[in-house]
Amino acid sequence: MSEKTYVGKSIPKLDAREKACGQAVYAADIQLPGMLYGKIVRCWDHAHAKVLKLDLSAAAKVPGVIKVLGPEDVTQKRYNTGVLDVMVPEEVGQLLGDIEDQRIFTDHVRHQGDAICGIIAESEEIAEIAAGKVKVLYEPLPVYLSAEESSRPDAFQFDERKPGNRAFQLPEQMFPGNAYGWGDVDVEMAKADLIVEETFYLPKVKQCQMEPHAYVAHYDQTGRLNCWTSTQMPKCVQPKLARLFEMPISRINLVSTTIGGGFGARLGMVFEPETCAMALAVPGRPVKVQSSREEDWVASESRHPGKYWVKLGVRKDGTPVAMDAHFTTNAGAYFTHASGVAFTAGSWMTGLYKFGSIRYKGDTYYTNQAPSGAFRGYGNPQTNFALEQIVDRACSELNIDPVEWRKKWHKGVGDDGWCMGVPYSSCALDECLERGAEAIGWEEKRARYASQSGTKRRGVGVGVMTHTSGAMPMLLEHTTCTVKMNEDTSVVITLSCSDLGQGAHTVLKQIAADTLCIPMDEIHIHVNMDSAGFDIGSHASRTTYVGGGAVIKACEDVKRQLIERASIRLGVPEQALEIKDQQVVSRNDPEKILSVKDICRSGVYNFTNPETGETNGVPGQIQGYASHFPAHNSPPFGACFSEVEIDIETGEVKVLELVIAHDIGRAINPMAVEGQLEGGAQQALGMVLTEETSYDKVGLCRNNGFTDYKMFGAADMPKFTTILVEQPDPVAPFGMKSVGEAGPVNPVGATANAISHALGITFTEAPITPERVLQALQDQKVA
Amino acid sequence: MSSRVLPQFDLLTPQSIPEAVAMLAQHQGQVSVLAGGTDMLVWNYIRKVKPAYLLRLSGLDDLDNVNYIPGEGLRIGAKAKVVQLLDNPDVAEKFPALFQAAETFATPQIRNMATVMGNVLRGSPAGDCSCAILALGGQVVLQGPEGERLVDIDDFWVAYGVTERKDDELAVELRIPEPTSTTRSAFIRMTRVHEDLAKLNVAVCLEINQNTCQQVRISMGCVGPILVRLKQTEKMLVGKQISDGLLQQLAASAQEEIAPIDDQRSTEEYRRQVAGVILKRVIEKAIGAH
Ligand SMILES: Cc1cc2nc3c(=O)[nH]c(=O)nc-3n(C[C@H](O)[C@H](O)[C@H](O)COP(=O)(O)OP(=O)(O)OC[C@H]3O[C@@H](n4cnc5c(N)ncnc54)[C@H](O)[C@@H]3O)c2cc1C
Repeated sequence: MSEKTYVGKSIPKLDAREKACGQAVYAADIQLPGMLYGKIVRCWDHAHAKVLKLDLSAAAKVPGVIKVLGPEDVTQKRYNTGVLDVMVPEEVGQLLGDIEDQRIFTDHVRHQGDAICGIIAESEEIAEIAAGKVKVLYEPLPVYLSAEESSRPDAFQFDERKPGNRAFQLPEQMFPGNAYGWGDVDVEMAKADLIVEETFYLPKVKQCQMEPHAYVAHYDQTGRLNCWTSTQMPKCVQPKLARLFEMPISRINLVSTTIGGGFGARLGMVFEPETCAMALAVPGRPVKVQSSREEDWVASESRHPGKYWVKLGVRKDGTPVAMDAHFTTNAGAYFTHASGVAFTAGSWMTGLYKFGSIRYKGDTYYTNQAPSGAFRGYGNPQTNFALEQIVDRACSELNIDPVEWRKKWHKGVGDDGWCMGVPYSSCALDECLERGAEAIGWEEKRARYASQSGTKRRGVGVGVMTHTSGAMPMLLEHTTCTVKMNEDTSVVITLSCSDLGQGAHTVLKQIAADTLCIPMDEIHIHVNMDSAGFDIGSHASRTTYVGGGAVIKACEDVKRQLIERASIRLGVPEQALEIKDQQVVSRNDPEKILSVKDICRSGVYNFTNPETGETNGVPGQIQGYASHFPAHNSPPFGACFSEVEIDIETGEVKVLELVIAHDIGRAINPMAVEGQLEGGAQQALGMVLTEETSYDKVGLCRNNGFTDYKMFGAADMPKFTTILVEQPDPVAPFGMKSVGEAGPVNPVGATANAISHALGITFTEAPITPERVLQALQDQKVA
Repeated sequence: MSSRVLPQFDLLTPQSIPEAVAMLAQHQGQVSVLAGGTDMLVWNYIRKVKPAYLLRLSGLDDLDNVNYIPGEGLRIGAKAKVVQLLDNPDVAEKFPALFQAAETFATPQIRNMATVMGNVLRGSPAGDCSCAILALGGQVVLQGPEGERLVDIDDFWVAYGVTERKDDELAVELRIPEPTSTTRSAFIRMTRVHEDLAKLNVAVCLEINQNTCQQVRISMGCVGPILVRLKQTEKMLVGKQISDGLLQQLAASAQEEIAPIDDQRSTEEYRRQVAGVILKRVIEKAIGAH
C-alpha cells in the first residue's frame, strides 16, 4: 500500500475532548418532554427465594406514582440476555442447549438483585419512596454458590431443562465424549516423562465499566418502541426486543447513546427488557431507568468464575505430548453465556500450542451468584492463568527456559487456529518473545533472581496468548456500511458499529480518510439504527478489523463510481483511470483529469441545459455500500513479561514492570493500540492480584461497589512498555489484527509466573492477595 | 441498600459558631454535621444515616486554617482540608507522621474535599490522619452551649464511630503539641490498592536521645473497634536503646496487644502476622534507620 496520511498515526480520540469536558450525552443525560422515571425493584435480602406474596398496593398509592408492574403485568415470555441466538443458526443453538430462562419480573428470585417488580413515577425520588413500600413475603430456598454445591443430586433444580443444574456441557452430537481436541490423550499421556497437574480457581471479576447501566424507552404515538441505550450491539438487541415483546422489528427503534465503557458489560441486553416493559405500560410517555453502581453490580453479568483443572504431559526435552483439561465454570443464576464462554475457554488453549494430543472438556453450572456473561477476553484470561502456569511448572521441573519453550511449541502460520478449521494466516509471536525478552532483560534477571535472600524477592515471568479478530467462523460475522459523498466531497459514513470508548470511530475515520484520500475532519460517522444496516456489534475484537473492512469496501465502491463517471465524461476507459489528490486522472494522459469535487457536485446539482438538453455531469449523488463478511479472523498473538517484587514479611506483591509485545499486524492508530494494552493490563492485574466479587454464606454480595472491590488505579500501575510488532497479516485489510480483547489476557499468566519465579510457589487461586501469599510462605517456610 | 437519590433532609447553613451550636441544640440528635461530606454523603446514599438535618460549615469563617504556632504547636481548623497538610511546610518538617498520613490519604480529589476534622470525628479505626494524630498526641476543641471544652485525643474515641462529642457540640479545632528537637515521628499504612482505606495503619512518635527512647506513643488502626495506643509495647521501649533485638520484641508484643477481626479488607490472622512487621518498620522510618 502507498504512504498513508492517517493510518499508522497516533491520532487522539475524536471524542476525548467532549468526554473530558462533560459534553458527551449518555443515556442518563437524556431528558424528554413528559418523561417519567422507572425503578426496578430488586430483591436485596435473598439470593434464592420464592415470592409468596407481592403487595404493591401501598406503593401504588404514593402520590406521583403512575403505575406499578408486577410479574403478571408484563410479557410472560422468557428471554436470554445473551445474543448467541441471533448469531448462530437455530439448529446450532439447539445443539448447544441454549435456553431462555429469564423473566422481566420474577416470582422466583435466583440471585440477589433479581428484579421482582417495577414502579413508574413522576420522579426518581417518588419511585424510590414507593419502592420502599413494596411488601414482599419470601420463602427462602437453599443457596448454592459453587458448581460443587449446585450439582449435588439432592440440590434444588433451577430449570427442568437442565438436570443436575448443569447449564451446559460440550454436546455429544458435536463433540463425542463431550470433549474437543485431537489425538488420544490417554495413550499419549502414558508416554510422558513428566506429568504436571493442577486445579486453578478463578474469581468472579466485574467489568467495572465507568457508566452504570441507564436507559430511556418511549412507546410513541406511531406505535414504535424507542429505546435509548449504550448497548454494544444494537442490531442484535433490536430483534431480541422484538421477539420478547412480540412486535415486528420495524417497530423497535434503538438509539445508541455515548457509551461509557463496555468490556462486555453491554453485550446483548441488560436492563432494556425492564425499561421497555415499563414504557409499554405508559404509552406516549418516555421512561428513564438508571441504576446505581451497587445495583449494576448484583444484577448484571460478570466474568465466569470457576475451577480449571489441567494436566500436561511432556517429554524430557519439553515436547508436550498430551494436555488434558476440564474447566467447570459458574454460570450464576441464568444461562446467558453458559455455552459461549465454556466453548471458547478451551479454544484459547487448543489455539496456542502444538500439543501432541489434547482433550478439552468444558461445562457450566447454575448457582445463586449474579449471572456470568461476557467480559473482555471471553474466557481467555481465565485459561491464561491455568495454562501459562502449568507450562511454566513443567519448564521449571525440566529446567527449560520458558521463553525458549514457548518459541518452540507455539502454533504459527498454517497451523490450525483457535477455532479449528481456520489455519493461522500470520504469527509474529517469535518476534514478540524476542523483543519483549530483551526489553525486560529476561536472561539476566532470570539468572539473577534464581537465588535471593532478604525480605524483598523479585521474579520475572512470561505469558503468551492468541486471540481472534472478529467472530468468524464461530458466529455470524457481518457489518454493513454506507459511505455518502456530499456535493463538497465531505463524507458521511453510516454504520452501526458502536464506539465503546476504545476509539473505534476515530480509527474507522482514519481508515476511510486514507481509502478515499479525503481529510479526516471532512468525514462524519453517523450511527443511527434506522439508517444503518446490520452489524453484530462491538465485541470479539472486531470493530477495527471487520468494521474497518466494511468501511474500506464501501469507500472502494465510492471510488469505483467516481472512476465510472469520470470514464464517461473523459472518454477514457476505467482501467486507465486512477484517483490521486482528489482528482480522477488518466494514467496515460495527464491532461484528462476531473476533480472528485466536480463529479460529486455535478451528481447532486445536475442541471439540464434547456437548449442542448445536455447535463453538466452524470446525475446522482454518490453512495458507496458494503455488506461485509470477512473471510478470515487474522488472530493476533502477544507476549507479556512481568517483573514483580514480593515483600516476604507482608506478602505484598508489587508489579514493577510490564512489557507487552503485541502482534498487531499493522497498527492503524499506535496510541490507541497502546491504550488498549495498558487498559487491558490494568484489568488483568486486578484479576490476578486484587479483584473478586465475594458473597457471604447466604449468597449476598459483600462488595458490590468500589469501597471493597479494588481495581488497580493509576497509582498502582507499573512501569509499562508496549512494543507493537508490525508484520502485516496477508489476508487482513491494511494487514491489521486486533488488540481490544487481547489486553487483559497474558499479563495474567505472566504476572502469576513472575510471582512463582520469585518465590518458587505456584498460586493456584486468584486473586493472589498478600494474605494468601503470606500464608503460602509460612506453609512452605520461606518467611 | 444504596440509592442514587439522597434521602430528604433540611440543609442548615449557620453563619457563626454560636448559631451553629444553637441549631445543634435546637434539633438535638437530629442533625449531622457536614464537613467535606466524603463520609457523610456516602452514608446518606447508602442509607447508613438518615438525618433530618444536615448542618454545613460553609458559612463559618476562621475555621479553614492549618497554623503552626511556635511554642504551642499545630492548630487545624474544622474546615481545613487534608490537602492543606501537604501544602504546609511546617507539617512536613515538624509533624512527619501527619504529613505522611495525608500523603497516602485517598486520591487528590478526596484530599481536596475531606477535612482532617471529619477524619477524627468519623471515629473510624482506619482513619489515617486520626492514626497519626493519636501518636502525636493532642486535643479536640469542642464548642457547645456552655462554651468550649478540650478533650484529649486519647479519650476522644469511645466506640466504633462514637466520639466524646455531644450532640449539641461542634468540633472547631484540633491541637497538636509542639515537638522538641528530639521528637521523631512516622506513619505507615497497608492497603489493598493505593486508593483504599487501611487494612492496617500505624504511627509512632518518639523522643530519641542518642538512640535511646525517652518517650513514645504508638497508635495502630484496624486492630480493634477504635484506634488504639499500644501501651504495653510503648513501655518496653521507654529508656531503651533501639536495636534489632528490641524491635523484634516490640513486634511480638504488638501482636499480643491487638484485637483485630476479619473483614472485607483483610483477616484477623493476617493483621496479627504483619502488625509487628509494620511497627518495626515505622520505628525505623521515624528514626531514619532506613
Ligand atoms: C474514595 C474515598 C477514599 C477515602 N480514603 C480515605 C483514606 O485513605 N484514609 C482515610 O482515613 N479516610 C479515607 N476516606 C474517608 C474520608 O474521606 C475521611 O474520613 C475524611 O477525613 C472525612 O472528612 P469529611 O470532611 O469528608 O467529613 P464528613 O464526611 O463531612 O464527616 C465525617 C464525620 O465527621 C462529622 N464531622 C465533621 N466535621 C465535624 C465538626 N466540625 N463537628 C462535628 N462533627 C463533624 C460528620 O458529622 C461525620 O460524622 C475516604 C473516603 C472516600 C469516599
